[in-house]
Amino acid sequence: MQKFFDAFANIFKIPDLRRRVLFTLFMLAVYRIGAFIPTPGIATNRFEDFFNRTAAGGFLGYFDLFSGGMLRRMTIFALGITPYITASIILQLLAVVIPTLEKLQKEGEMGRRKITQWTRYLTIALAIAQSFGIAAALQGSDGNFVLNPGIPFILMTILTLTTGSAFIMWLGEQISERGIGNGMSLLIFVGIIVGLPTAIREIYNHVFVIHDWAALQLIIILAIMFAVVGFIVLVERGERRIPVQYAKRIMGRKMMGGQSTHMPLKVNAGGVMPIIFASSLLALPQTALQFPVVKNSVWLSNMFGALAGNAPLYYLLFIVLIVFFGFFYVSIIFNPNEAADNMRKYGGFIPGIRPGKNTADYIDKILSKITLVGGLYLSILALIPQIMISGIKLQTLPLMGNFIDAHFPRWLLDGLGVRFYFGGTSLLIVVGVAMDTINQIEAQLIMRHYEGFTPRAGRIRGRRSSF
Amino acid sequence: MWLARMKRFLGFINREPESELPGIVRRCEELSLRSDDQLKIAAAAIDGNPEVIEVFALAAVIAERVLGLRMFDVQILGALALQRGHIAEMQTGEGKTLAAVPAVIWYALHRRGVHVLTANDYLARRDAMWMSEIYRWFGLSVADLSQNMPAEKRRAAYLCDVTYATANEVGFDYLRDGLVRSPGELVQRPFAFAVIDEADSILIDEARIPLVIAGGVSDDPALAYRIDSVILGLRRYADYFPDDFARNVQLTDSGINRVERALGCGSLFDEGNLRILTAVQDALHAHALLRRNIDYVVKNGSVELVDEFKGRIAQDRRWPAGLQSALEAKERVALKAQGRILGSITVQSLAGMYERICGMTGTAATQKEEFRKVYNLPVTVIPTNRPVIRQDLPDILYADKRARNRAVVEEVRKVHETGRPILVGTASVEDSESLSRLLQLAGVPHSVLNARNDEAEAEIVAQAGALGAVTISTNMAGRGTDILLGGNPPKDRQQAVELGGLYVIGTTRHEARRIDNQLRGRAGRQGDPGASRFFLSLEDALLVRFGIAENPDVDSVQRTAESQNMEIRQTLWKYESVIEHHRKEVHALRREILLSCDWSIASMLPEEQYAELAEAAGTDVLETAGRRLALAVIDDIWADYLANVAELRGGIHWVSWGGRDPLYEFLTGVQEIYEDLHWRLKEEIADAFAAAELRDGKFRFPNEERFERGATWTYLTTDQPFGTLSERIAKGLRRKRARR
Repeated sequence: MQKFFDAFANIFKIPDLRRRVLFTLFMLAVYRIGAFIPTPGIATNRFEDFFNRTAAGGFLGYFDLFSGGMLRRMTIFALGITPYITASIILQLLAVVIPTLEKLQKEGEMGRRKITQWTRYLTIALAIAQSFGIAAALQGSDGNFVLNPGIPFILMTILTLTTGSAFIMWLGEQISERGIGNGMSLLIFVGIIVGLPTAIREIYNHVFVIHDWAALQLIIILAIMFAVVGFIVLVERGERRIPVQYAKRIMGRKMMGGQSTHMPLKVNAGGVMPIIFASSLLALPQTALQFPVVKNSVWLSNMFGALAGNAPLYYLLFIVLIVFFGFFYVSIIFNPNEAADNMRKYGGFIPGIRPGKNTADYIDKILSKITLVGGLYLSILALIPQIMISGIKLQTLPLMGNFIDAHFPRWLLDGLGVRFYFGGTSLLIVVGVAMDTINQIEAQLIMRHYEGFTPRAGRIRGRRSSF
Repeated sequence: MWLARMKRFLGFINREPESELPGIVRRCEELSLRSDDQLKIAAAAIDGNPEVIEVFALAAVIAERVLGLRMFDVQILGALALQRGHIAEMQTGEGKTLAAVPAVIWYALHRRGVHVLTANDYLARRDAMWMSEIYRWFGLSVADLSQNMPAEKRRAAYLCDVTYATANEVGFDYLRDGLVRSPGELVQRPFAFAVIDEADSILIDEARIPLVIAGGVSDDPALAYRIDSVILGLRRYADYFPDDFARNVQLTDSGINRVERALGCGSLFDEGNLRILTAVQDALHAHALLRRNIDYVVKNGSVELVDEFKGRIAQDRRWPAGLQSALEAKERVALKAQGRILGSITVQSLAGMYERICGMTGTAATQKEEFRKVYNLPVTVIPTNRPVIRQDLPDILYADKRARNRAVVEEVRKVHETGRPILVGTASVEDSESLSRLLQLAGVPHSVLNARNDEAEAEIVAQAGALGAVTISTNMAGRGTDILLGGNPPKDRQQAVELGGLYVIGTTRHEARRIDNQLRGRAGRQGDPGASRFFLSLEDALLVRFGIAENPDVDSVQRTAESQNMEIRQTLWKYESVIEHHRKEVHALRREILLSCDWSIASMLPEEQYAELAEAAGTDVLETAGRRLALAVIDDIWADYLANVAELRGGIHWVSWGGRDPLYEFLTGVQEIYEDLHWRLKEEIADAFAAAELRDGKFRFPNEERFERGATWTYLTTDQPFGTLSERIAKGLRRKRARR
C-alpha cells in the first residue's frame, strides 16, 4: 500500500506527468460543466420524468449510460460520445469488409490518421442524424416537451447537439493526446462515476433517514459490490498466454524464468461490446410491444411478452446472444490465420507445433475455449444485478410453473427488490478504464525511472543455482 | 540547485550569438598588431575561467598567423553558437573545421577535456593535425584516436585537452572501460564536453546503431557448417519462399520436412531444437537474402558488411551473431568468435553522457524539432559568408527508372561536352554501379565513389570540381571534404566558374530533405556559381512508399516521411530510455566498486556472513576478494540482463495481438528483469563466498577462470539486418525490374 501512495506522489514529482494529469482533470471538468447546460427550447424536467419512466434499461438506457445521464436531462451534450463510438465501430467493421480500409489500418501512422479523420466525419454525420431523430421525436411525442415546436426548433436542436457531440469528441482527443489515458473511455468513465455521490446519498437515506433498509441489507449490498468488482478485475486481467519461441539472434548464457515471449489472449477481448449488441437486439421485442398492432394481437403480444425482461426465455436468449457476439467480436479483431502467418514471418513458433495451418488451428481452438468462458462471464455480469432486482420469473414456464411457484424461494422468483446503482456493464466499463489508465500512468513512471503501482516486492522468488 | 540552473540559463542560452561578435572583431583588430610571442604569452595566460571575447579573438588572430586563414565573421558566429551549446548549421565550404576551434579552445580551457567527434578516423587525424598548432599556442594538448591504437596511447589521448575521434571509438572505449577489473586499466576520464562534427549524421542517422562489446564463450562452429550444407540442398520457391521485398524468407512444409530428415533431429519446432532452428533460420537468410558483393563482400578471408546507405563497406560492423556465422559458413571462411554481448550502447546514449554537447553540420534546420526534443539542442542557422548563388533547378519526374536513367545519362553527356564538372548523387551502391555502366556505354569517362577508403575518397571528392570531371557518388561519401572548383589545387578555377560551376545531379530524393540538401550543398560553396537538379522517377522508394499518386508534391511527401521517421525514432527511444537508465545505474555502481575507498563488500553480504568471513580471512583480504568478485558478478549478470531484455524486446509485439500495450508490457518487464538483477547480484556473491576456499590468505572461488576477463571485441551491430522497409521495397522493385 505504501508503494501505491509513493507511486501516487511520484506522479506529481514529474512535471510532465503532473501537467498531463492536471490537463486531463481540467478537460473532464469542462465536460461536466457542459452536462448542466440544457438544450434550449425543451421542458427538461418533464422530459426527465418521462425518460425515467420509459426508456431506462433498454437501448436508450445504454445511450444514457454513455452520456453520463445527459440524455435524460437533455443537455447540450445529450448525444454524448455515442456518435463517436458508433462511428468507430462502423469503421472497424468496414475495415474487415473493405480491403482499402484494412490496408490503411495496417499502414502505420499515416493510415491511422486518415481513418481517424474519416471517423470524425462519420461522427458528425451520425450526430446530425441522431439529433434530427431526437428533435423530431421530442416534437412528435405527446409529452409536451417542446416549448415552441416547428422547423426552427428542429434546426436549433440539430445544431446544438451536433456541436456538443463534436466538442466532446475534441475533448476526448485532447485528453488522449495531451493528457493521460484514452480520452473517450475516460469521458464515459466520468459519466458513470458521477452517479456515485447520488447513489451513496440515496443509500444513506434508506438506511439512516427513511429506515426502510436494515443495516444488514446495506452490508450485503456493499459486500456484493466489492465481490463483483474483484471478480471483474480478476477476469479482466485474465489471459491465456500462448508461448511463442522464435529464432534468437542474441545469445544468452541462461534465461531467467518468467520472461519467455508469449502471445496473451484475453478472456474478455470484446469488453462490453457483446453486452451492448445483445441488449440492443433484445430491446426490439420490447419496443414492438408498444405498437398497437402487436398490442391488439394476443398471439403476437404473448410471443413478444415471453421475450420481455425477466422472463426465463429472455435470460436464455440474452446469454446466447452475448456469447454469440463475443465470438463475433473476437473473430473481427483476431484472425488466427493471420496470427499464424505473422508468427511464421517473424520466425516465431509455438513450441512443439508446426507453423502454418497447425498453428492457426491450435490458436483457434484455444481462442474458442476462452471466448466461451468470456461470454459466460459477461452473461453473469449482465444478469446478476438484474436477477437480484427482479428475479427470474420461472413460474411462467409451462408445465412446471406451478410447482416452481410453490417451492422455489421467493427471492429467486421475484428478486430482492434491491436497487443496484451500478449495473454489471457500468462496473465493467469503470474497472476497465481505471485499469488502462493506471497502466498508462505506470508506464510513464517507469519511463521516468520511478517505480509504478504494481506491487512486485512481495513476490516469492525461488533460489536459482549460481554460476 | 535552481540558482545553478538559472545561471546556466542566463550564461549560456539567453544571449544572442550576434551580441558578442562586435567585441570579438574589435579585440581581433587590437591583437593583430601584436607579435607572435606576445600572442603566445597572452594565450598561455588564460586561466580556468576563460572569457569568451578574449579567447575567441586570440584564437582567430592565432589561426591567421599559424594557418594563414582569416576567420570570417560567420565562422565566429558559428563558434559562438557552439560555445552556447547549439547546433550550428553552416553550409558546405564555410570552413566548419576552423570555425569549431575557438569554441573547442574555450571548452578545453576548463581543463576537463573536450572530445571533437568526427565522421571518420581520417578526418579525426586530418583535423587534429591541421589545428594542433593553434591549440599549442594556448598551451593545450591535442591528440587523435584511431582504431587499433593500444590502450596506453588511448589513455594518453583522452588525457589531452582536446581529443579528436569518431563517436564509435569513444563509445567502444566507454564499453571497454565498463568492463575493466582494476582502476589502472581505465582509459577515459569522465565525459565533459563534446563538439560533434556532421551532427545530423552522428546524432540522427547513426544514433541508433548499437555499439557492442562481446566476449567469452563461442558457439559451436560445426553446427553452422552442418546446417549450411543442408540449406544448400533446398530449392527456392519449393522448399523456401522469400517474401516480395526480400525482407524475409520462410521454409515451406516440404522444406521443413527436408531439413528435419537431413538433420535427423525430429521436429524442428520442439523446444529442445531451438538452437538448431535458429541456425537453420540464419543459414536460410544468409543464402536466400544476402548477396555477395552487394550486401557484403569477402575480403582477406572475412565477411564484411556493406552499408547500403553510405555505399561502402561498413567498418567494424557485423550482422547479429548467428547470421554472421551463417554467412561465414556460406562463404567457407573462418568463423569469427561470437561470444555473448557484454555491453552495448548507442551513440545517442553516449551523447547523453556529456555534460554539454554542441555540433555543426551543413544540414540541421529541417531536423530542428528532433534535435530539440531528443537532445535538447537548439539549432542556430549561420548565414553564409557570401550569398549562395547556386541555381536549384526544378525536379524532373519520369515514369520509370529506365527513362530517368536515360535522361540522366543524356544530361551528363551533354553537359560534360562543355567541360563543366558534374557530380551525380545516387542512393545506393547498386544505383551508382548501374549508372556507371550506362555512362560507360555512352562513352563518358567518370569516377565512382564507393570504396572504403576515406583518404582516397577525400582525394576523389577534392578533384570532383576539376574541368571535365564526372563523379558518381553515394549520398554520404566524402563528407567533410570540399569540392574546389577547378580541382585541387584550383588551377582551372576561372574556366570552371565561367562554365557555371559544379553541376550536381540528384537521381532520387531521399526520405529526409537534409540528405538532398547535403548533396545540393556540394555546389555553390563560398559564393561560387553552381547548379543542382533532381531527376526523379515514379518508381523511387520515397514515392512508392508514401504514394505520389495522391500527393504530387515531393516536398510534402518528404515532410511526411521525415515526421514519420522521427516518430519511429522517438518510439524506439521510449523503449530504450529505461535500459539506458539501468545501464547508468549499474555503471555507477561498478565505478564505485572500482574506485571508491568507501565501498565495502559488506553492502552485498548478509551481516553474519560478512562477520564470519572477516574473522576468518581478515578485512583486507575479504575486501580485495570482494571487489574482484563483485565486478565479475556484475559483468556476468549485466550480460544476462542484456540478453533477457533483447529477448523480451524481440517478442514484445505479440502482446499487441492480445490487445495489450506493448510499451507498458515492455517497461514493466524490463523493470522486473532489473529487480531480478539486483537480487541475483547479492545472491551470487553470497553463494560464491559460501563455496569459496580460503587458501594461503586468499579466497579461491569455484570456476575462478570465469573471473578473468578474456578477450573482448567490439563491433557495431544493426537493428534491421535486412534493411528498413523502404530500403527493401526499393531493392525488391529493382529486382523485379531486372527480372523483366
